[in-house]
Amino acid sequence: MLMLRQIYWLASKDILIEARSRQTIGLVVVLGVLIIVVLGLGLEPSQTSGFSATAILWVAYLFGGVLCFEKTMAVERHDEALAGLLLAPIDRGAIYIAKLISNLILMFSLAIVVTPVAVLLFHFDLSAALGAFVLIMSISMVGFAAVGTLFSATISSSRLQGGLLAMLIFPISLPLVITSSQLLLRIFRGNQELSFSGLSILIAFDVIFLVASWLVFELILEP
Amino acid sequence: MAQKKRIPTPAIIVYWVVTLGLFVGGLFLLAYYTPANLRTPEYDAGAAQKIFYIHLPIAINTFVAALLVGVAGVAYLIGRRLVWDDFAYAAGKTAVLLGGIVLLTGVIWGRSAWWNARPWFVWWEWTPRLTFSLVLWLLYVVYLMIRPSIESANRRALVCAVYGIIAFLDVPLVYFSTKLLPDLHVPPGQAMSSGMKWTLLYWFAPITMMHVGILYHRFCLNRDERALYESAYDNEQTPAVA
Amino acid sequence: MHAASTGTSTTPETPQAADSRPPEDVSAPTTTATSTTAAVHAVNMTKTIDERLILDRINFTIRPGQYVTLLGANGAGKSTMLRILASLSQPSRGKLTVFGHELTRASSPSLRARIGMIGHQPMLYRELAAVENLTFFGRLYGLPDARTRAMELLEYVGLADRAGDPVKAFSRGMTQRVAIARALMHEPDLLLADEPFAGLDAPSTRMVELMLARLHDEGRTIILTNHDITQSLRLAEHALVLHGRRIALDEPTADLDPEEVLKKVGWTSC
Repeated sequence: MLMLRQIYWLASKDILIEARSRQTIGLVVVLGVLIIVVLGLGLEPSQTSGFSATAILWVAYLFGGVLCFEKTMAVERHDEALAGLLLAPIDRGAIYIAKLISNLILMFSLAIVVTPVAVLLFHFDLSAALGAFVLIMSISMVGFAAVGTLFSATISSSRLQGGLLAMLIFPISLPLVITSSQLLLRIFRGNQELSFSGLSILIAFDVIFLVASWLVFELILEP
Repeated sequence: MAQKKRIPTPAIIVYWVVTLGLFVGGLFLLAYYTPANLRTPEYDAGAAQKIFYIHLPIAINTFVAALLVGVAGVAYLIGRRLVWDDFAYAAGKTAVLLGGIVLLTGVIWGRSAWWNARPWFVWWEWTPRLTFSLVLWLLYVVYLMIRPSIESANRRALVCAVYGIIAFLDVPLVYFSTKLLPDLHVPPGQAMSSGMKWTLLYWFAPITMMHVGILYHRFCLNRDERALYESAYDNEQTPAVA
Repeated sequence: MHAASTGTSTTPETPQAADSRPPEDVSAPTTTATSTTAAVHAVNMTKTIDERLILDRINFTIRPGQYVTLLGANGAGKSTMLRILASLSQPSRGKLTVFGHELTRASSPSLRARIGMIGHQPMLYRELAAVENLTFFGRLYGLPDARTRAMELLEYVGLADRAGDPVKAFSRGMTQRVAIARALMHEPDLLLADEPFAGLDAPSTRMVELMLARLHDEGRTIILTNHDITQSLRLAEHALVLHGRRIALDEPTADLDPEEVLKKVGWTSC
């Protein structure tokens, strides 16, 4: 119970800072829209007929997500606030979960803006299985954020150049991209039902990396 | 102390001679005990099917290397000794080397197998197996690529340990996700003759020995290189201590 | 109450002592008498960073309520030592007990709750107001009424009228005072101050000096690192000097003069 409250305080602190500075969300959303515009200009209209929806959205989510992870951890790095957290008598797992929640809130805000823009610009028709789309993308994002939060804390030394985080997270997240695109292709193109076996890969990804991050987090946090 | 030349001990020379001998023996087995051609109406592997006897043992060794990177990562996180990182780095290198061979032989094999039946089959198709070996290879290429960009040895070891663990956990997930990709229709293969089975089994020996040998040498090299940096640092410091 | 830790710490010479240099002799006679009561007790504490030896088998004991200054040249390992004491970093080998509990990576939160730290950096969130920062950290320490306590402390450091301003609007001296308030939120028994005077003007320096003195009077243990030796010797009652990765001097400040300390730090050997 105490831990839940600590997680709440930690996450609401992040959200309060974001509400004050509005640094991350604006940046991330504009980046996502830009990516979609660039892809839209680069692809022929015939190639963007709905089927490439997941690929285009994934590119926007991946890059936007990495920016989220970097920014939310930068808040802790500034003035060594992270050391202040580590000094406090709280479980490091609580810090991880709280950061994960803050990142997810930011990423979902990104998705809420970017997805309709993509739908509008590319004439995606998600109405056939909107629920399945939301479900698959949400589960994928949890896994992506789980890995991203872990690595953003691992490379928390401020001297590291940007781009490293993307290098670390992208290959790890490929199972999410492959699975979710294949599942959505089957649903939208093949008119198939959502298969549980496909969904279970996404769920397994989430569970494995949440547990692994929780276990590892205790060992890695050093200011 | 670390600058001394590394002279191979007799044991190491014998080790490599035996490995080489096993390789040569394996080539003879390939020549005499495996069919010259495997052909069905829609599947024509030709001589390329002989790649398979090398391909599979190397693939298994790649998984072993990936496992070693992960295990060394766990050991580093618990014990915080940089030797574990040296070992993980060596294993990461062999994973990339062997994974690269798996990818390459896989591409050649796929191209040859469907050469006659499907002329449109080009060098690369997003089949589950090829995609799996590509992603696996990329995972460990990244492992090697991130290393130089982190300056502090401790921080580098930490990031790489976490990455090594996560990457290894990722391997089965990559495998199952690539299985969702549409596969080419593979005709039921012929049953393997006992000569083919034994050849395949035999090939595990030279390839595993080669893997272990390279791993050992890379590990020694990494360890000595680090020792060199440390001694350089100590010389520069020379504290005026009584 | 910590029989186990006392028992092991009486035999400080573990295998790594097979080195040419003899061990420091402080541990042997004092261990049994002080380890249950000592605020900080280090036995053969060694720290390597990137395989470079920073601290080499350090032994020392700090009594509760003592005001200790930790001196040493740049890069002698003062900050590393304070980080270890704050449990932000772990000794590579050897043992460190704080209030009788061993400090480890997973050291109990209850022990961390007794330690406060003022670092090089303020460890505050720039976007949040001073009072919000303090309230947030106070909650993490489980204070029942964090906000009231935060206002009390802001009063104490003379910033009550600026409580609602974000920290990024503060000057260096004001930020430092908020940082001190943050370190005091949970009334720590052990206060670690890493260069608290760095970058402060004379009035702010005086204010921080007085604050530390007041905390000392309240019976808290204080460990202060500082590059101004004269000032440190004036403020603290005991000095520990780090040189050549070891403790070069462990004496009450009353017996010391700055020149002597400078010599110990290795200044004259240059």
